[in-house]
Amino acid sequence: MMYEYFDNLEKGIKGRIDKEPQKIHARKKYVLEIARLGKRLYNQDENIAWCGVMAPFDLLNAMGVTSCFVEFVGAMLASTNTADHFLKQAEDEGYATDSCAYHRAVTGAVLENAMPEPNFIIGTSSPCTAGLAVMENFARAYKKDFFILNIPQNDFKEAISYLAGQIQEMTSFVAQHTGHPLSIEKIGKAIELTNKASLLLQNIYDLAKQKPSPVDNQFLKDFGTVMSLLLGTRQAVDICQAFKDELEHRINNPTPNMTNEKKRLLWIQNRIQYQFPINKMLDDLGAKIVVDELNDVTWEPLDPDNPFESIAKKTSSIPFCVDSTRRIDHIKQQIIDYKIDGVVHPCHWGCRQGTGIRGLVSKELRQMDIPVLNLEIDCVDSRNLAKGQIETRLEAFMEMMG
Amino acid sequence: MVPKIGFTCSYTPVPLIEAAGFSPYRIFPDTDSADQAGHLLHDNLCPHVKKVLDRCLDNDLDDISGMIFINSCDTMRRLSDAWHDTRPSDRITLIELPSSTSNSSIDYLAEEYERMARNLFEWNGQAFSLDCIHENIELWNQLAVLVSEIEARMSKAFYPGLAASFQKVINAAAAQSIETALNMAKEILSVEQTPQKGKAKVMVFGNLLFDPKVFDLLEDWNIHVAVNDFCTGSRFITGIDTGLNDNFFKALASSYLHNTPCARTMDTSTPGNIAANIVEKAKSADVKGVIGFTLKFCDPYLARVPMIREALANESIPFLMLEGDCTMGAMGQQQTRIEAFSEILGV
Ligand code: SF4
Ligand code: SF4
Repeated sequence: MMYEYFDNLEKGIKGRIDKEPQKIHARKKYVLEIARLGKRLYNQDENIAWCGVMAPFDLLNAMGVTSCFVEFVGAMLASTNTADHFLKQAEDEGYATDSCAYHRAVTGAVLENAMPEPNFIIGTSSPCTAGLAVMENFARAYKKDFFILNIPQNDFKEAISYLAGQIQEMTSFVAQHTGHPLSIEKIGKAIELTNKASLLLQNIYDLAKQKPSPVDNQFLKDFGTVMSLLLGTRQAVDICQAFKDELEHRINNPTPNMTNEKKRLLWIQNRIQYQFPINKMLDDLGAKIVVDELNDVTWEPLDPDNPFESIAKKTSSIPFCVDSTRRIDHIKQQIIDYKIDGVVHPCHWGCRQGTGIRGLVSKELRQMDIPVLNLEIDCVDSRNLAKGQIETRLEAFMEMMG
Repeated sequence: MVPKIGFTCSYTPVPLIEAAGFSPYRIFPDTDSADQAGHLLHDNLCPHVKKVLDRCLDNDLDDISGMIFINSCDTMRRLSDAWHDTRPSDRITLIELPSSTSNSSIDYLAEEYERMARNLFEWNGQAFSLDCIHENIELWNQLAVLVSEIEARMSKAFYPGLAASFQKVINAAAAQSIETALNMAKEILSVEQTPQKGKAKVMVFGNLLFDPKVFDLLEDWNIHVAVNDFCTGSRFITGIDTGLNDNFFKALASSYLHNTPCARTMDTSTPGNIAANIVEKAKSADVKGVIGFTLKFCDPYLARVPMIREALANESIPFLMLEGDCTMGAMGQQQTRIEAFSEILGV
């Protein structure tokens, strides 16, 4: 089922790009690559690794492993309106509705044999405890070898060297399963490509800061998180270049849509994954999400002479890997850099990691006089969605911002 | 009075606290304070962390000279964040706890425990002393031996009141001193008790169940608690295998990672072994049934309950799963189900 979905998606988008080859098509190129990744994941000839969100995908890509964090599949199921069936399946097997629905949806898919069998599994202790627990469950269910990357929540010297050592160990673990060790050349190439993409990402985010911002509510949705899957590849660089070109094009050719920017918003953590017209609601209210919290380059360029340590530093710089003080400082900086008027915090039901800092974020931002809209919502499970209530809250929030 | 160090997780090595001249003070989630934690963090967090934070927000704590937090799960790390926010002048150390038991994890945790020890000695203005640490580990290990003896007695036959007494020993080690707990344990073992019949022999497991009165209640409801597998129970007194290593911190790290089988730690060579461990404990104690008691919103357990249920069913071991908060009040609501379960098990 998922293979056909990704196959159709690829064909459809490719057709549309081919029809107008002169256009930039940034978002289409991005979705095309996601569709291709999806297809490869469901292709039995590939070396498949199911991973935690913080796995070093640049290294895995360099090692020829088709890899993906499982929450991506949860999000895909939600975006194609097929999550409900799998959520129910998992719940019938005893998985509590108090858990994160990204994980519950994938668990349902595993129980229904709708997931491709991985060759091995790499769990990561960040962003969340729940994510690592489900990876262990999958390793047990598929009887596959399981590797854990423990990501300390600080960047002390010892923590970085522990993480760097584990990343190196991980490459040996992968090589044992694929038969292809990671060569110096491959690391060098992956690092070069990651650095190129990172630089372009930084350019993209800088362009998004402009007032009015050339982005729209959909343009950079979950971009930083999903792009991490493609880092270390030529495709990531091409996609980033297309995004940069499109933003420059928009700045040079502004549309009324772009200039209609009454309020600039920051979105914390992930977006809502199922079909839900929140972007349209925001458009109608003249509000624009100019930045997602995780759309940022928080790391220094990777050092080809010190690959594991620099990847470790990059990993531990991601906002959901750090303590709340540093995370909130990062949000505050984004508020300043992007001239933000208000913050939307979707408190995803079941997420102890992100939702758990709801009150601390609100408290700190109150001191900055920045209003925060805490949406109590499940970003994957739409079964209890109170659409009307959200609409009312959005309106009230806009009024509050004046 | 000996100054106190607060902590909240069973991966906190109490011997290090005492070696630095402090007394341990596990902050139990036992409070009538108003529910404010949900506001500062979020309501969908486990009651363990929320109630501890409520105590902190309500100033319902003895004087403490510092806090040790363990980054054992998302909720715990949020507790450490909220503590910083609520009591910014407190001395706080957050120890990173690896989720796997690999050699590099043991080495890293050893460094973390050493950092904890050095901070504690410094907080108390004392010179760092490996001898003091060694002495306290020895004392702790003596306690671990006696605790195992009480556990063996509990699992052999039903002795009225023994499960509650056992819990009191554990609580004394957590919130008074190793020596107090040691004396209590000796006293329990020195008394000859007459075993009784008529109760259903059960293993209880989960995250937190620390009120001794709960164990008396369970007896009233016809349950003989033969195994108490909680992080506020037997898992708390982790014996330290110093024979393996001449480095105390490595010995601590290795023992805690291997011998404190909490749902948040994993052995990657046998994924999901928590289920097998529970079955094994239940079988070796020859219990008639297992009661799981876990806290709402606890991710490490939420994800594992289905596999534990399946593993027990495969062995035809009856299983009752209860979820709630960790208070006596919450136990009252479970009475009917527990009594019905004990009836099914028979005696
Ligand atoms: S939403 Fe939260 S619990 Fe769910 S996968 Fe993301 S970080 Fe983990
Ligand atoms: S009860 Fe569970 S969620 Fe709460 S602190 Fe313990 S392991 Fe974490």
